[in-house]
Amino acid sequence: MAPLLSVESSTKRFGGLIANRDVSLTIDAGEIVGLIGPNGAGKTTLFNCITGYMHPDAGRLVFDGADVTHARPERICRLGVARTWQVVRAFGRMTALENVICGALQRTSRVAEARARATELLEFTELRGRGDMPAATLTLADKKRLEIARALATRPKLLLLDEAMSGLTPFETAAAVRLVRRIHEELKVTICVVEHVMEVVMPLSHRVVVLDYGVKIADGPPQAVVRDESVIRAYLGERRAAR
Amino acid sequence: MGRIALVVGALIAIVYPIPLQLQGYTYYQTVGFLVLINAMLGVGWNVIGGWAGQFDFGPQVFFGVGAYTAALLYVKLGVDAWLGLLGGAAVAVVICAVLTYPLTRLRGHYFAIATVAIWMIAQPIGAAWEYIGGAQGLFIPMKPRSGVVDSALGLQFSGPTKAMGYYYAALVLFVITLALMAMVERSKLGYYFRAIRDDQEGAEGIGIDSRLYKVIARSITAAVFAAAGVLYAFWALSVFPEQVLELNWSTLPIMATVVGGIGRLWGPVLGAVILIPISQIMSTTLGTGPLAGRGIDLIVYGLIIIVIAAFRPTGLLSLPWGRWLRWRRAAPA
Repeated sequence: MAPLLSVESSTKRFGGLIANRDVSLTIDAGEIVGLIGPNGAGKTTLFNCITGYMHPDAGRLVFDGADVTHARPERICRLGVARTWQVVRAFGRMTALENVICGALQRTSRVAEARARATELLEFTELRGRGDMPAATLTLADKKRLEIARALATRPKLLLLDEAMSGLTPFETAAAVRLVRRIHEELKVTICVVEHVMEVVMPLSHRVVVLDYGVKIADGPPQAVVRDESVIRAYLGERRAAR
Repeated sequence: MGRIALVVGALIAIVYPIPLQLQGYTYYQTVGFLVLINAMLGVGWNVIGGWAGQFDFGPQVFFGVGAYTAALLYVKLGVDAWLGLLGGAAVAVVICAVLTYPLTRLRGHYFAIATVAIWMIAQPIGAAWEYIGGAQGLFIPMKPRSGVVDSALGLQFSGPTKAMGYYYAALVLFVITLALMAMVERSKLGYYFRAIRDDQEGAEGIGIDSRLYKVIARSITAAVFAAAGVLYAFWALSVFPEQVLELNWSTLPIMATVVGGIGRLWGPVLGAVILIPISQIMSTTLGTGPLAGRGIDLIVYGLIIIVIAAFRPTGLLSLPWGRWLRWRRAAPA
């Protein structure tokens, strides 16, 4: 079976800096893939290329059989990719419910239908009772949940979570991990998480891809990746790796 | 509470010209006409400026497009005003869509500057194009009208009931505009416009084509401006460039929107009801007599706007009216 998403030798440069160099990876339907790497490794750049906010200088992106290398974000969303943002991009002056309605309107033009779907998703993401609050007044943890609810409202096949758990308390992080599992199990959505907190990614992911300085240095099951020499070097430095 | 205010407001708007008419005052009916036309423009501007959050300082171009289109249809082809109004709105939407699509690459101040630039280009075109009358403009001759119905159907009122006729014509157009914009606000469009305003990248991420919806928002605004331009042209019985492409056709509605409450359906209405009479009173009191011609009326008018804007930048509608008006009922609990 063809993978749901395949990134083929994607390269993205910003002037002299190569943010992604010849990165290839695939995501199969039904997987939870963790994308990790130190700060500046090019994880968000890769996300931006996959979701159409940037276009690779070389290489090819194929989602669900369609070439999306140069597609705009709104087309990629329509094809079934949704994302959240490292720095939250909730619609601050709209209520939480209205935020999710905007997402649901992607699959229906009837506001009443979108509202019903949005109400379900606020329930699913445990934001019931926050529906009438302006999004700007929510806590960070709730804003991140709201972004997930809004992304889910577009009925994605693939959900890309960009540091959905960073900046949260341990308690909130545990709740977020549970939510990701439920999205995967109950809504049958394929998920790719970017995270630099190893403790979160390892137990959650079926497979982990590691980027360092824009290059993919490892790709495999979490247990194998944590023992990988080059990964340890990237995270802990030369001296630790030698021991 | 909102419902009561709506009924009272509607009654006042309907009854307002009658006592004036009985006493033979036409001036205050014309003030009412200006309030309604500016409220209508403000409600239209709110779509691009308030909901979609794109500062458009050049919608007066479409006021002119509407006025010229209907006047040309009337003068050259004998088409009556209401059909001309539909034609004017349609032409304005097409021109707006074509001009605005490239503009949507620009954001913030740059978008605003580009809209002004288009207006600056429109002025010399209006003044130099012979087909539309050049600097002299076009005159709209009155057709003989027999009775109220004929006048209303032709949007041509004359004699002692002229001011009242145009007041009610403006009221009808204002109500239609308000009702249509209320529908837009509650539809998919209303949600998408506000999503783009709050976060354009976020909106694109959930599948919203930001450029397309900005064009749609501005085209709705353009249609409203064109319709108001047609009404104004038939009231003034003429169309010439300095008059219909005047900057005030955007600044007054925008100020009304900001003072009343930007992004709220009724904001521009409240703003126009407050600002337009003040400006008229200022010019008839301070603008006449020993101080005439020194611009004192405009200075005082400007100061009033500055005070309101500084006191409540989110607009007068954002004040907690509900709490103030309900305090008695809330007290026992």
